[in-house]
Amino acid sequence: MATRDPLDFDIGVEDDEDGTPSPSSISPPSSPPSYFDRDRHVAFFEMLYNLMPYHYQSQEINRLTLAFFTISGLHLLKALDRVDKDRVVSWVLSFQAHPRSQAESKNGQFYGFHGSRTSQFPPDENGVSVHDAGHLASTYCALAILKTVGFNMLTIDKESILISMRNLQQPDGSFMPVHVGAETDLRFVYCAAAICFMLEDWSGMDREKARDYILNCQSYDGGFGLMPGLESHGGGTYCAVASLRLMGYIEDDLLSKNATSSIINVSLLLDWCMQRQAIDGGFQGRANKSSDTCYAFWVGAVLRILGGYKFIDKIALRRFLLTCQSEYGGFSKYPSELPDLYHSYYGYTAFSLLEEPGLNPLCAELGMTDLAALVHCFLFFQTDQKCCITALTLTIFDLSTRLLCGEKTLHRNRSLGAVKILFSPHNLAISVLRVCGRCTTLIML
Amino acid sequence: MESSEDDGGEPLSRLAEWRDVTPLPQDDGPNPVAPIAYKEEFRETMDYFRAIYKADERSPRALRLTRRAIHLNPGNYTVWHFRRLVLEPLNSDLDEELDFIQRIANSNSKNYQLWHHRRWVVERLGTNVRAKELHLIKSILSLDAKNYHAWSHRQWVLQALGGWEDELDYCQQLLEEDIFNNSAWNQRYFVVTRSPFLGGLTAMRASEVRYTVEAILANPNNECPWRYLRGLYKDDIESLVNNHEISSVCLKPCQEFRDAVVALWTSDSLPLDPDLATAICGILEHVDSMRASYWIWRKNKLPVAA
Repeated sequence: MATRDPLDFDIGVEDDEDGTPSPSSISPPSSPPSYFDRDRHVAFFEMLYNLMPYHYQSQEINRLTLAFFTISGLHLLKALDRVDKDRVVSWVLSFQAHPRSQAESKNGQFYGFHGSRTSQFPPDENGVSVHDAGHLASTYCALAILKTVGFNMLTIDKESILISMRNLQQPDGSFMPVHVGAETDLRFVYCAAAICFMLEDWSGMDREKARDYILNCQSYDGGFGLMPGLESHGGGTYCAVASLRLMGYIEDDLLSKNATSSIINVSLLLDWCMQRQAIDGGFQGRANKSSDTCYAFWVGAVLRILGGYKFIDKIALRRFLLTCQSEYGGFSKYPSELPDLYHSYYGYTAFSLLEEPGLNPLCAELGMTDLAALVHCFLFFQTDQKCCITALTLTIFDLSTRLLCGEKTLHRNRSLGAVKILFSPHNLAISVLRVCGRCTTLIML
Repeated sequence: MESSEDDGGEPLSRLAEWRDVTPLPQDDGPNPVAPIAYKEEFRETMDYFRAIYKADERSPRALRLTRRAIHLNPGNYTVWHFRRLVLEPLNSDLDEELDFIQRIANSNSKNYQLWHHRRWVVERLGTNVRAKELHLIKSILSLDAKNYHAWSHRQWVLQALGGWEDELDYCQQLLEEDIFNNSAWNQRYFVVTRSPFLGGLTAMRASEVRYTVEAILANPNNECPWRYLRGLYKDDIESLVNNHEISSVCLKPCQEFRDAVVALWTSDSLPLDPDLATAICGILEHVDSMRASYWIWRKNKLPVAA
């Protein structure tokens, strides 16, 4: 059965939750297909995008998260055409909590996005919104959905989100997900970091304190627990490493850079991650536990961020994942069980990490497609000679000559200048820039 | 106060008690995405909850309604939050509340909201409930000795209310039942490093090393004691490398067992016999072929012999 948040990992799943058809006894094991059945997955997710069966009603409080899985999942499967983008945008924006004034945004409440309509009411006659508060995980999902459908993020009222988000940060650096009180752990540090990253504005959190909290979560065995002192765990490790990367405390592809000084014990972490691939080829979330589909993402993404994904046994992993692929579409937690939304989504992200043809590439730090994760960068350019025409057209490619963001036309006579463009976080170095059909000198960022 | 009996699941619209309340339907908007096909009982309960929540009615019937909503939807943090708001003015019996949480936990032991609520109640009851709490967590762990929520709650109770005295023995007992239980090893580390009764890691190291080496020899295939051993020397890796007793233990099974190299892991700045490490990486390439490219990379990173 699906878990509550994208970050509820393995520890949030019940085997016999109310409403779930009993998984293990349903169908006799048939020989699993030896290929990733994209068409069936698209049909499955399209069905869920249009209507979720009643079994998901206990996930009601996280409607936005469920929507995120379906939409981002379809994007991974290169089937985003199934989604009505305008409808999604207006629906998602309707969940945003708004303060009535600048002053109100500092009153302690979190003006992010609600996760569902349970806690959201229209304001009364006096314009007073009762119990109006957002949730960090819902806010992460809302922004992720908006980015996925290509919404112009610059039009979001980010000020009230960021100012009020600071209220959620605790003295030890951790984050509470809602202002009324809840557990605080690494999941919400990650949400906060991802929110700031997507809004391209770090005023929403004290990064140093968050960093210190994360470091306190590294266990004696190299992995990270969800809170200081807790057992190292695949999901906690992902939240820790992805957050540090998003906040800029660790470099991309650390291992190749021979970094001897790093704020975390990288070699121990790497060894812990490597040991999570079990004999059946799948990844486990903790030592001596069963392999579970989703850890192929949680742990796999950590390895990708560190630059160690190349070390895993991809063939064995693929073989394991295919035993969790359902004939109905989607993936289950364990082999030969019924699929659920959460494990299906992370099955797709895992296959994207494996570079399965037909899937969009993944941004490991954000858990969604590279395309959706695009952020703004400044591009400085200089041409060899002054252009005589009035329009300059820049065509930008990444290092592997994949067309990044098409053409950008500047309607002025320029030989030197700067322009703000969207880039994938991983392709910040550009190799070729064509201006008006002529190659130019290169450009730095 | 609150009835211990559920109200039988009778539709709320048919109960006299609720006649004065107009249920507030969910406003999903004109084009909802990923709509859920709610069952009638669910929809109705949440419609009444919305009405009570909006009106901020903190009454006994509101309390009963949150119980019903929680049964249907134990992950809904808004309902739990409102229940807390209602409990306070009603001066409810919080010991009974612990029993209520326990009943919900029977089928939802891996639910964050439930555990957070429990923490809230225990905070208000204080050290009086410490023993009961530790006992309850034990019973949950007896059903699933790796329940992450239960362990998290246990660590919180120990740090907030104490009760460390028997914790090392408890870890011992769990490890006797299952030496492969990584949660128990982690808890052992937690106790050894943080218990106010044990004197800290350095004081405990010698006895812990003896215990861990015994565990390694009994099951060299078990990853946990190897990592634990290294953890005992967390900030003092040189002592680990120079300890001959440990080295001989590590090297004994290294021809056959893949986990051996873990204990020999060291930082680049310390001297290490490169030939031995190289040989071990070479062996691992073959016996741990799943991680072959990793062992090759490790071998290439070893300091070159002078």
